[in-house]
Amino acid sequence: MVRTVLRRWTDSSALTLGVLGVGNIGMVHLKSALSMPEVTVPAAADAVPENRDRAESAGVARTYDDYATLLEHEDDLDAVVVALPPFLHADAVEEAAAHGVDVFVEKPLARSVEEAEEMLETAEEAGIAVGVDHTLRYQPDMAGVKEAYQDGSVGHVPYASITRLNDHPLGKPPADEAPPEWPMDPDAAGGGSLVELGVHCFDVLEWLFGDLEVVDATMGKSLDIPAEDAATVMLRAPETDTTITLHCGTYQWEQLPEVNTRLRLEGVTGTISNKDHMPGNFYAGAATSALTNVVNRFTGGETDVFGPTFYLQAHYDALEDFCEAIREGETPPVDGRDGLRTLELTETAYELAAESESEGDGESEDEAADATLETPEVTT
Amino acid sequence: MSVHLAGVETPNRQGGWAPDVDRRLATLESPIRSVLEGHASSLTAGDRITLVPDTHYPFHPSSGMVTDPAVVGSIADRLSDWTDAEIGIAGATDDRIAFDRTAEYLGYPAIADRFDADLVDLADDDHRDTVVTVGDERVSIAVPERLLESTVVLVPTLRPTEDGPVSGGLRTLGRLVGSVADADDAAVAAERAVKPDLSVLDATIAYGGDPVAADALFAGPAAQIDAVGSSLLSRAVEEDPVLRRTVEAAEESVTVESVTDEPAVDLASLRRRIPEGGLPPRDEVNPLVTTAYRVYAAVAGDAVPPQFTQRR
Repeated sequence: MVRTVLRRWTDSSALTLGVLGVGNIGMVHLKSALSMPEVTVPAAADAVPENRDRAESAGVARTYDDYATLLEHEDDLDAVVVALPPFLHADAVEEAAAHGVDVFVEKPLARSVEEAEEMLETAEEAGIAVGVDHTLRYQPDMAGVKEAYQDGSVGHVPYASITRLNDHPLGKPPADEAPPEWPMDPDAAGGGSLVELGVHCFDVLEWLFGDLEVVDATMGKSLDIPAEDAATVMLRAPETDTTITLHCGTYQWEQLPEVNTRLRLEGVTGTISNKDHMPGNFYAGAATSALTNVVNRFTGGETDVFGPTFYLQAHYDALEDFCEAIREGETPPVDGRDGLRTLELTETAYELAAESESEGDGESEDEAADATLETPEVTT
Repeated sequence: MSVHLAGVETPNRQGGWAPDVDRRLATLESPIRSVLEGHASSLTAGDRITLVPDTHYPFHPSSGMVTDPAVVGSIADRLSDWTDAEIGIAGATDDRIAFDRTAEYLGYPAIADRFDADLVDLADDDHRDTVVTVGDERVSIAVPERLLESTVVLVPTLRPTEDGPVSGGLRTLGRLVGSVADADDAAVAAERAVKPDLSVLDATIAYGGDPVAADALFAGPAAQIDAVGSSLLSRAVEEDPVLRRTVEAAEESVTVESVTDEPAVDLASLRRRIPEGGLPPRDEVNPLVTTAYRVYAAVAGDAVPPQFTQRR
């Protein structure tokens, strides 16, 4: 703890970052960090050799096949990005804590509330900061919805709905390689699509409406896989008196750059939709970002990173905010408590869904009572 | 040579797909019986039957990209009524995914249990090296012995391959043999070595760029069934390197004979309903967008996300 704090005091601008896990999303974080001014990334770790090669090609000086070894050897780190599978998050945070290194953890923060609480306790004892990569609130379409809502542009909002769908991890045709097993293994991932996608939705909904209560939930499987690939949750926001439905699923084929994320706020005088605040089509967005970046390079202004893809740019912005908070010695804007909160809502939804299912499977009280009645004896 | 056609009646079905497997089995019972009846004696002659569905990857059956397990179950059910032969549902582990994993995700263990069939991973079977003459070339293939020693019923789904032609029973069979030859030569060689007894085309859901509930089943010789499938997908048979060599070799035209009166299936309207498209682009991102992103990044000096630089 002392080592980290001292470094912040002696050099408040530069930040040295390690990246633990450079698969798909880890590479987004790595490329984001490499593009940030006054952030250096000397090292990355990944068990997969091809991923390490990609990290080196991107500009990382040293790679390791194990994150613990990275933390052992890299004694100049301020923070690490934890972009490992969820079953490794707790251990990676513990290792980072042992070295006094702050962490920016990919969602879900942990596989359960209990694991997240232990993780945060470890972090607190070590004096390290915990940030969580909940990115929906960083997307321009969501920011547009929030602004319109805060402006009261549709009056009272009795009902809202959010949907997030993709095809992780089975993908779409043509079949390529075997899908990883851990995302469909509740023990390894903490759940299915609710943990994969729903936690993002919970985060953005509480950001919009304040504290939420889970009213009911149902889970679905369209294939015989261990974890749910669809989740529907009914929520209530007491502060705004809004009923909300959340649906997320990993069953729908996705072809980037199109992403299926929809948020609608049904107000008294009209509807606020994220679609109305979405950047234009990909090509127009790319052209605009290119023009902006070229101009800004000449004028010394800030340039976009991942400009045409707002959903990846959101990852950049989230990591940048985390880095800024670490530099300033402040709590990250999306911190461990936010990550824990999404898991609390997730677990409640799972419990309610399980209760509903067991009620559906079981007998009603009347049926149970009927079953106990003895058949009357008939005599002639 | 004729192939048999039966429409699948779907009374009161909401939407194009019934998720309840019991319900699908119930609707399939009659049409499956109808398309198999004419082949009952040849199918029940042996003491072992191997059903070969398209299980190449655990895509949802409602997409039409794989055979509906309920169709396979219904065939197994019918055959078990006619014969005491041992029935196996076969696929093969390849370098992409294990067969038992795909089978599990698609729900085959329950289907196999229910109809007293075995799930057979042909990758574990002994293979017999066989040399087959295909055109002017001799193609060497390693064929799972079970395919050589049992009654083989192919059960493809109606969809194209990534390269464009119909996937069909022959290419489904070709994926199960080992060969250094190209995939089309291997499919032709596999057909000649195995001589499948029947092909049942699952066109309950067809895929042609989008899925469509076609609600039809076809049964007949494998090459002729694939020719019908190719036609329904608006692919020219003579442009298909597999069908060119297998259908023409049979030197017979293909006629489609409806074996049920209701529901009537009009082939011309069915063909119009099935889109003529192909599979989605292989890359995670549309290739045009990837190219555009690279141009953008070069101009703007931006980073290129990994999703825009690699294949999934």
